[in-house]
Amino acid sequence: MAKQSEQITTSSTAEYFSKNLQQVGFSSQTKAVLTTLKEAVDNALDACEEHSIAPEVHVLIEKVGLGSLKNSEQIRIRVDDNGPGIDPDNVPKVFGEYLASSKFGRGRCSRGQQGIGISAATTWAQLTSAVGARVITKTSTMRKAMKCSVEVDIKNNRGVVKERVTLDWDRPHGTSVEFLVDGRVQVNGEAGLLNYLTATALVNPHLTLHYRMPDMDKVVVKRVTTEVPLIPEATAPHPHTMKLGEFIAHSHLFGRVKVAVWLKKGFSRITDSVCDEMVKTGGLPALVLDTLVDKVTEVQFKQLFSVIQNMPLLAPSTRSVLSIGEEGFEKSIGRLGSVDFFAAVSRKPAICDFKPVQVEVAVARLQNKVSEADSSAQVLRFANRVPLQFDKASCAIVKAIESVNWRAYGLVQPKNSLPQGPYIIAVSVVSPFIKFKNASKETIDASDELVEELRRALIQAGQKLSRYIRRELKANELELKIRHIEQFCPILIDGLCRITEAPEARKEKAKAGLVKLLGKDAESTEKELEKAVIASQKGKEV
Amino acid sequence: MKERQQDEKIPALSRALCERLLQDLERARRPVLYATKCSLDNAIYNHKIGYLTPGAKKVATELSVGSVKKMSRTIFMLEVVLRNLSVGAVNTKRELYYISKGEIKHNSTLKPLDFESQDESDEIIDFICEMLECYREELNCYANDRGGQTYSQQLIVTETLPDGDIAVVELGKLGTTPFQPKNRPQNLKLSTKKKIDFGLIVESEGTANTLVANGFTKRHSCILMGAQGVPSNAVRGWCKLIQDQLEVPLYFFGDLDAYTMQNIFRTLKAGSASSLIRNKDFSAPDVRFLGVLPDDIKKYDLNDYPVRESDAQEVRALKKAQDALKNDPFFHDKRNKGLTEILEWLLSHKRRCEQQAYFTVDPRDPVMPEKIIVDKIRRGHYV
Repeated sequence: MAKQSEQITTSSTAEYFSKNLQQVGFSSQTKAVLTTLKEAVDNALDACEEHSIAPEVHVLIEKVGLGSLKNSEQIRIRVDDNGPGIDPDNVPKVFGEYLASSKFGRGRCSRGQQGIGISAATTWAQLTSAVGARVITKTSTMRKAMKCSVEVDIKNNRGVVKERVTLDWDRPHGTSVEFLVDGRVQVNGEAGLLNYLTATALVNPHLTLHYRMPDMDKVVVKRVTTEVPLIPEATAPHPHTMKLGEFIAHSHLFGRVKVAVWLKKGFSRITDSVCDEMVKTGGLPALVLDTLVDKVTEVQFKQLFSVIQNMPLLAPSTRSVLSIGEEGFEKSIGRLGSVDFFAAVSRKPAICDFKPVQVEVAVARLQNKVSEADSSAQVLRFANRVPLQFDKASCAIVKAIESVNWRAYGLVQPKNSLPQGPYIIAVSVVSPFIKFKNASKETIDASDELVEELRRALIQAGQKLSRYIRRELKANELELKIRHIEQFCPILIDGLCRITEAPEARKEKAKAGLVKLLGKDAESTEKELEKAVIASQKGKEV
Repeated sequence: MKERQQDEKIPALSRALCERLLQDLERARRPVLYATKCSLDNAIYNHKIGYLTPGAKKVATELSVGSVKKMSRTIFMLEVVLRNLSVGAVNTKRELYYISKGEIKHNSTLKPLDFESQDESDEIIDFICEMLECYREELNCYANDRGGQTYSQQLIVTETLPDGDIAVVELGKLGTTPFQPKNRPQNLKLSTKKKIDFGLIVESEGTANTLVANGFTKRHSCILMGAQGVPSNAVRGWCKLIQDQLEVPLYFFGDLDAYTMQNIFRTLKAGSASSLIRNKDFSAPDVRFLGVLPDDIKKYDLNDYPVRESDAQEVRALKKAQDALKNDPFFHDKRNKGLTEILEWLLSHKRRCEQQAYFTVDPRDPVMPEKIIVDKIRRGHYV
């Protein structure tokens, strides 16, 4: 009989995560605060968008006292939203159960996917403060709001509701969630709370955000559009995004139908004409398309798969990915500060690593950051509109930025590095299936295809940006020329006249001649400047 | 710009140049400054002349917003130099840099001309030289260099000083102290106590001193000079003076390597591409390469060694030698075939041999190198 120590036991998902919270963003005290805030805000935004509600989110971060962990403080993190509210039966699942999600594997571009994050935040609060999440929620059909605290039953991976009461609430629907956690507040810097909130506002033009943090007055960032982005419904998979095994498994989902019917029904971008092309140019026997899917042999499946992979199909539908759009970026970018100029690019969706991806880039120069000419440009990374703040170096976005020759667009850039100067480079990757490097979703995997797609977007943005920079250079050049004329003309003529002992009359004549000559140079620069201004005005400007 | 004649004076030339510029400006025409292009692609070698001369290529600087600063600085510096010439004042480039700074300090309207570093003022002085086709010494701007340490029992140097005094230096009476002419060797007059058989220029000043200490100049009626590595203008001008005034055969004794052949010997014999304007008075075309020759290695069983691939300087010298074979008109001339063959030998064998290797022939005989040198001269074993 095996010893007790050798017995194989099963652990609950909650048990696993409670022991490995560092894998989901709770690796340090400062990160714990940020991750908790992030999970709560992401859920609030997702909930609002699901119900086409323009989100109004209130964030409160305050220090309550000393924490139980060494060198920590107890921090209150509260996020209120005007979302649809949560059905009371679902409250323990949302806040207290791991992998309970309405979005997992649905192929939609929502922020949350697996249903881990907010449960992990509850676990952290429970482990450090012995109190779970405190929730108030009300749906529009509820007469009164429900107030309770939710804890994670770690042994059984279940949410447990405690202290449940009903109360009158001052809003028709919404959710308020509060965590008391041990941690440390880092407001500024790349991994700071402020960076997270401003970046979130940038990619969510429809969001009104109120926040209050320690040692700060309350800040309100108003929405710049009332248009709530429509989260696109998941579309049928694109055949180029599949591997052979998935392809064959997919055939069994549609019952006993003919192959042609299955293809048209089960995939996007396959039409009658595509089926005809498969036979005509792809060399697929017409018989295969008329065969019932359960009668297709493995050899036929392989042949069919190979023919489809070699067919030039339309790219996946733009409906399957959600974009911020150049217009959205334009409206939102002013919220980062006073912007000199900026360029935004929304690429058409493309397939990278078998998945549809849309890349969007905005590059802006900030007026109030001119003094930071020698420091690297600020990079804001987004995955499904969630800011990424850690592990920058290995992220596909940073690798792509470093691979672009920004010098060609008038920016300063040390070799293989980020460009320098008072610039913000915001890059958003939206996809129903983003390949993250870790469960805490901090870094996007730098596959060659994705880096290349990002690079193309960045190059386009750089080209747009260079129009503004060129205009600036021309203006500087003109100023320099005029200054040169004013400075050197008298010196040159005086010197020549002294050496040749020329009289005053000759001096004046020569001065007039010189101004005429150099004036022509300045005139031509002025014309070039005018052209540059016209070119830059053709682009969009803040 | 037409080539300057020897008797044309710098002040007159300068005034003519400024007059032309002023006239162009009065007519609202863009004045252009032409300067001789001092680079290998504008160098011509004719064995009858014996040194590298400038070709027809000129660098034209047309007045524009971009060039007005350079032109203004040029005229400003020219004025400083002309004032020096008019009062007989002499300066180094460094001093001219500070004189310019001083002028600007005392006249705030000149502030835009200010030089941030000496490189900038040096560039303007060189530009003036290239424009007027003159040496900096003709602008009374002297480098702090001097001709190589020279020893002779027979040579007498007579110098007329600016105040008219005459100085006579008899080298044989200087004991172990070498004679080193300064500034413009062209101003010196040479004579000899008795006929001088040859002049020997030794690459290493240390080896030159050793030869003298061992009695070389006592045993032979000669002039012996150290070249101080790459010969400075003063060394080159001094050799040229000895060649022209005394008409004695001159021999160069140095290392057998690409650097010595191309940078040291070629510069001594035919001048350099960067000083095309001054090669006429700063090269000694009659000087011959006495050694070390490739044949000497075998004949005297000299210690040679391969070029170290790890030594960037040696590798660079070989690469430059390759370029020289391709582009340098001096090595293209068939009269210099012997020298070209040495360069080719060095490139193909990738070996080098130092001048001091002659001491290996008979380590116990301190005058063995002297014996070999004299023997080579007697037998005509040189290139």
